Amino acid sequence: MKIENEDALDTLVICPQCHTLHKEIPIQDGAKACCTECNTVIYRYDSRLAEHGLSLSIAALIFFFVANFFPLVKIELLGSTQFITIPKTIMTLFENRFYIVGLLCSFLIFIFPLMTFLLYLVVFTLLKLGRGEVVSRELLVLLSHLKPWSMSDIFLISILVALVKLIGHAQIHMGIAFWALIVFVLLDIYMTRTIHISEIWMLRKRLFTTQKVIEVTP
Amino acid sequence: MIEVDEKSLLRCPTCEAVNLDKGDINICRRCSSPVYKHRRNRTEKSWAYLITAMIAYVPANLYPMLITSQFGNREGTTIIGGVVLLWEHGSYPVAVIIFFASIVIPIIKFLVLIYLLISVKYPIGKESTVNKHKLYYLTEAIGPWSMIDVFVVAILMALIHVANVEIIAGTAATAFALSVFFTLMAAHAFDESLIKENR
Repeated sequence: MKIENEDALDTLVICPQCHTLHKEIPIQDGAKACCTECNTVIYRYDSRLAEHGLSLSIAALIFFFVANFFPLVKIELLGSTQFITIPKTIMTLFENRFYIVGLLCSFLIFIFPLMTFLLYLVVFTLLKLGRGEVVSRELLVLLSHLKPWSMSDIFLISILVALVKLIGHAQIHMGIAFWALIVFVLLDIYMTRTIHISEIWMLRKRLFTTQKVIEVTP
Repeated sequence: MIEVDEKSLLRCPTCEAVNLDKGDINICRRCSSPVYKHRRNRTEKSWAYLITAMIAYVPANLYPMLITSQFGNREGTTIIGGVVLLWEHGSYPVAVIIFFASIVIPIIKFLVLIYLLISVKYPIGKESTVNKHKLYYLTEAIGPWSMIDVFVVAILMALIHVANVEIIAGTAATAFALSVFFTLMAAHAFDESLIKENR
């Protein structure tokens, strides 16, 4: 196979799951390209990716704040009521001197999910404005390093497991933050499934190469 | 014009761009992060994390995960003890979830990583039809789910401390959290391009 220069490698994609090499083909707006070997979605084309990403990340951040500062679950046990919030759960770990677990939990269920969506927000804003070629690169690298460490979805399942353990021992009331957390997790999953990080890279390339062409040909 | 061997193309682990393999100085042309640079010690880092994780997994199973103190008497349950207790109480779905999350998934992950690390270095199972890329992808996907047990303990601890009834995490919680953390690190440190070279 012969190519003209290194940039021509952008016409090739490697399937993220089975590592088969594919040639990128132009597809319709809103369509997706799947791997011929394992049927995984390799990339999508969305002409309004920045707008969609921006609106999704703003929505997710709003729900994230609700999920963190309102009571998650309230229980009645032996006549007294107790409620938890996400920060309170983490603080209890520190108070009981479980520093390592506390540190891990605070990163996995608070700092990383928050940072992921803040990064999405900043990246999409930059791309929408068409600025920050270097900054957006650094932020995208950071984003792909953080992404696998954000575990809000696992925390949500853990809440359910913990509550099932308590059924019969205590009266359980779901708080507003619990429903907000469900919405946040759904948005997170939707975003991960529909907006692949490589698509943001493609958008960034389209954006900044056309800008350069305009600068050269006035 | 550059002549490119299709088989030597690498996928950047950070931004997924297709890159030429340039040996020791591989820097991704799109995101400028290193692409599998460590040509000499390629499996050692992953091995180190994996062994640490396996060591941490031993106390995680021996020490109590959850200590319930009820009206003065304290009672500790280990991970397996907790699963058995839940099964006896009839909450089968939760027992199965915890069993999978804290026992099956970590062990599968250890075994798969050991298999991958050995098979990329020595010609074991070269003829096997297992797609190792898919195997690796799967372990990365199910790995974080073993954190469930740690989160459950954290939630119960925050939720239940009434005057007479209290739930405290045990030593195993720290050990188990560390074990999961290091298996995740081991999986991330694994050099996926080795799979291709040894096919």
